[in-house]
Amino acid sequence: MIHQTVEVVVPISFMYKNRVGRYLQHYLNGLKEKKILGSKCSGCGRVVVPPRSACGRCYGVMDELVELPQEGKLVNWTVCYVKMESGEFKRLESPYVIGMIQLEGCDALLSAKVLEVEPENVKIGMKVKAIWKEETTGDYTDLVGFVPL
Amino acid sequence: MRRNVAIISVGYNGRFVSKRPDISIVEMLEAAVRNALSKTKLKPHEIDAFVVGNMHTFEGVNMGHLWASEHIFALNKPVMRIATGGTTGMSVFHCAYYHVASGLYDVVCAIGWEKHDEGDAQIGLGGILLPEVFSLAHFGPDFSGRRGAGLGLMGGGGGSTGGASFQAASYLAKSGGGIEHIDMAAALMRANAAKNPYAHLQVPDCKPEDIAKTPIISWPLRYGHTCPTSCGACAVIIVAEEKVKKYAETEKVAWVKGVACGTSDVTVGNVHDGQITDPADQEMCKIVAMKAYKKAGIKNPRKEIQVAEVYDGFAHQVLLWPERLLLVDDGASPKLIEQGYYNIDGELPVNPSGGVTSTNAIGASALVRVAEAALQVMGIAEGGHQVPKKVKNALAHGWGGLFQFNTVTILGDTPVKK
Amino acid sequence: MKRRVAIVGYKLIKNTKASVWTRERIYYELSRALLEELEITRDKVDTFIFGSNDFADGRTISECYLIQRIGAHMKDESKVEQEALNACVYAWMRIQSGEYDTAMIGMVSLASSQFKPLLVQNHVLDPVYERPRGLINYYSAAAFQARAYMERFKNFTESHIARYAEKGYRNALKNQYSLQVIPPSLEKIENSEPIYLPIRELEVAPYADGGGVVLLASEEKAKKLTKKPVWIDGFASIEDTYWIGERDLVKLDGLREAGKRAYKMAGIKNPEKEISFAEIQTFFASEEPIIAEALGLFDEGSGAEVIEKGLSEINGKLPVNPSGGSFGGNPMGGTSLLGLINAVKQLRGEADDFQVKNPKRALVHAQDGVCAQQNTVMILSTGGEK
Repeated sequence: MIHQTVEVVVPISFMYKNRVGRYLQHYLNGLKEKKILGSKCSGCGRVVVPPRSACGRCYGVMDELVELPQEGKLVNWTVCYVKMESGEFKRLESPYVIGMIQLEGCDALLSAKVLEVEPENVKIGMKVKAIWKEETTGDYTDLVGFVPL
Repeated sequence: MRRNVAIISVGYNGRFVSKRPDISIVEMLEAAVRNALSKTKLKPHEIDAFVVGNMHTFEGVNMGHLWASEHIFALNKPVMRIATGGTTGMSVFHCAYYHVASGLYDVVCAIGWEKHDEGDAQIGLGGILLPEVFSLAHFGPDFSGRRGAGLGLMGGGGGSTGGASFQAASYLAKSGGGIEHIDMAAALMRANAAKNPYAHLQVPDCKPEDIAKTPIISWPLRYGHTCPTSCGACAVIIVAEEKVKKYAETEKVAWVKGVACGTSDVTVGNVHDGQITDPADQEMCKIVAMKAYKKAGIKNPRKEIQVAEVYDGFAHQVLLWPERLLLVDDGASPKLIEQGYYNIDGELPVNPSGGVTSTNAIGASALVRVAEAALQVMGIAEGGHQVPKKVKNALAHGWGGLFQFNTVTILGDTPVKK
Repeated sequence: MKRRVAIVGYKLIKNTKASVWTRERIYYELSRALLEELEITRDKVDTFIFGSNDFADGRTISECYLIQRIGAHMKDESKVEQEALNACVYAWMRIQSGEYDTAMIGMVSLASSQFKPLLVQNHVLDPVYERPRGLINYYSAAAFQARAYMERFKNFTESHIARYAEKGYRNALKNQYSLQVIPPSLEKIENSEPIYLPIRELEVAPYADGGGVVLLASEEKAKKLTKKPVWIDGFASIEDTYWIGERDLVKLDGLREAGKRAYKMAGIKNPEKEISFAEIQTFFASEEPIIAEALGLFDEGSGAEVIEKGLSEINGKLPVNPSGGSFGGNPMGGTSLLGLINAVKQLRGEADDFQVKNPKRALVHAQDGVCAQQNTVMILSTGGEK
């Protein structure tokens, strides 16, 4: 019975060019101007972030872009100790907090990094505000994260 | 007791094109579903279930149906996902059919889609073979001539054109046809596509001489014989018999009379079980066709099928499939295409939509065959590709994998008697 | 329901960290063994449904080369690209339509031959918002879910999550087809490396190579093929919204709805009393109490009480994952088929060391997507009830 097996590595490597679509393009354009944009449903008035075209609840079109407030309330949080590199988790030197933030007038929570606070001091319900990169480029990294007020 | 099922509407997100940089995958799906719904009396919440399919290595999204939950109106609904290679679209349709035929649901939406501009189709297709090729390369046979991935290895693996050329060469040898017949088939497809507002490669009045000018990729297949890579989505809504009157916008619906699928050995014309297997034989296609005809109650397909939408990834398959689907004699296609037998106004119109040779969004293609056959039965195909004669029965065929999957759907203007 | 459908046989391989057999060989051996046990040839199997995932298998149209091996050549075949329990649902539909009488479902998933299982899992995220931002993934979403549960029910702490993990490993040791890792002590689990707090490394189900096949048959055929058919009484599948910010991760509305519809189809009014045990699919130990409560198996917020009093242990009031669940190994995309097979074993009294006493009805659950976005729930029984 053969127990030794050969491992053959199949080096397929190819890049994808995924399209963000109209609504995420608006969101990214908004980030460049240091704005957080959501979209509102013309049918039921629901406001979500990131903006998207379809409302799954009332089947309406969410084509109205709304500018969301830059301050909100932290309603959930976790501490991230890892980053993914080559498909594996690598330990981070300094873990950071990620939170789910309730922005007023928005029916969807926004997930973002929560900075300038130690994990022990994070409290559900604390007020946070958005901080931005100096030079924005229309990328997700423009919105650096949220900090406690 | 059999439960009859009808297609009440067919929707596309728009014309199939090579690039859609302006929309994302989920927005494309939304457009197709909205389009299909707009042609019915259905409200979105009345759809009971969804079946979605695509070949995900082409976009790099593993579970696209999860991302699209709100965009396809599938919130709080059952969604099943099917992927079987080239036949994905029709396997999706068959799954949707069984959703209704089983009695579990009454209204199901089948969605097939592909957005090729987000990935590289040849690498994705090569992925069927690459692990074998690399394993063999490890043990000696050098397929590339030099180390490393690239065109050499694609050639060794075949890509898709390389593999299909085996089938085309064998078919020509068996049927006595020549490369000029494949040119005729490709020209017919491109010209038909010009009469279909949703098709990708539209060349009005395309002539075989135009096709013959294109270079040969792998004999006997020319550049002009191969399908494009298209972006698009197709949505088909099917309804159980009892609900057709309530939800269909008009009386024109297409009844699903028989579905059958089958798979045979994997073959690229290599030695298998001590015998050389021939990709042009396609025994399984004959068996699947016979199964479908039996379920549909069709005794004489040559007389009873008025139009066929076959899966012609390469133009020679326009000649091959009608023979293997038992619609014409073995080897008859070259003569018949010369006589215009397969034209839109011919005796047996084949692919009035332009077929896969003109539009290939892989996950959608086999579903588009069903959709186009349904449009022919309903008599509402746009742009001039509706066949002039009355269509009582239409056949849709899907093919894929590595030459071995075959699926057939028979649609008709009246349901099968119970 | 026009015809009842039963599971008449199963075969599985032991979960391993790295399978010596190839995928092709596993399908061949399992299919052959099942057909031999039932004393039929492949002619008697009308259709085959694979439950596998191209990404997890690392090749396009992954069932291409597996067709001859499972015995499906020159026959009907299809593939469901979700958790393998959905392949069972599709097979049920095919039989129910009257066109088929028997169906074989197959699943083989080899985590060891994936470049990195984590990468495969990450590709479930959409490529244009969540994946580039890198904030939401299976792990962080589970951490949010656990935190939300702990906020809502203050008596549930991080150490309770560790206790659910410990139960998983402990049960898995009794299941000779699981990975059977030496169960780490509670202390070791509680102090393992944090990933996204409160989720720690040993509270994540380990990846594994695994595979199984199951044969379904209509009522007339089932009675001829086996003396111990296990009946499929009901099932339901529901998809929730993709966007994590719009979901109540503790209430799990989609799963709740799936449970309700499955119970309705099976005629179950009081799941707490009528379900004998449940095999639910979790990637993280913290998911177990949340999913069990959303299915109505235990009271809301009882996560701490259930594990402290041992209510979900093998000899408890309502055993949950007596086989160890995915803590006995998580072959990606196929864990739910192992859950199905383990439930069938229990109902037939073939579960050896992890046998539950006198089970009558079982619940099997499968989840897809981040934080159980899509759920399938199936109810099985030994018979008697319609």
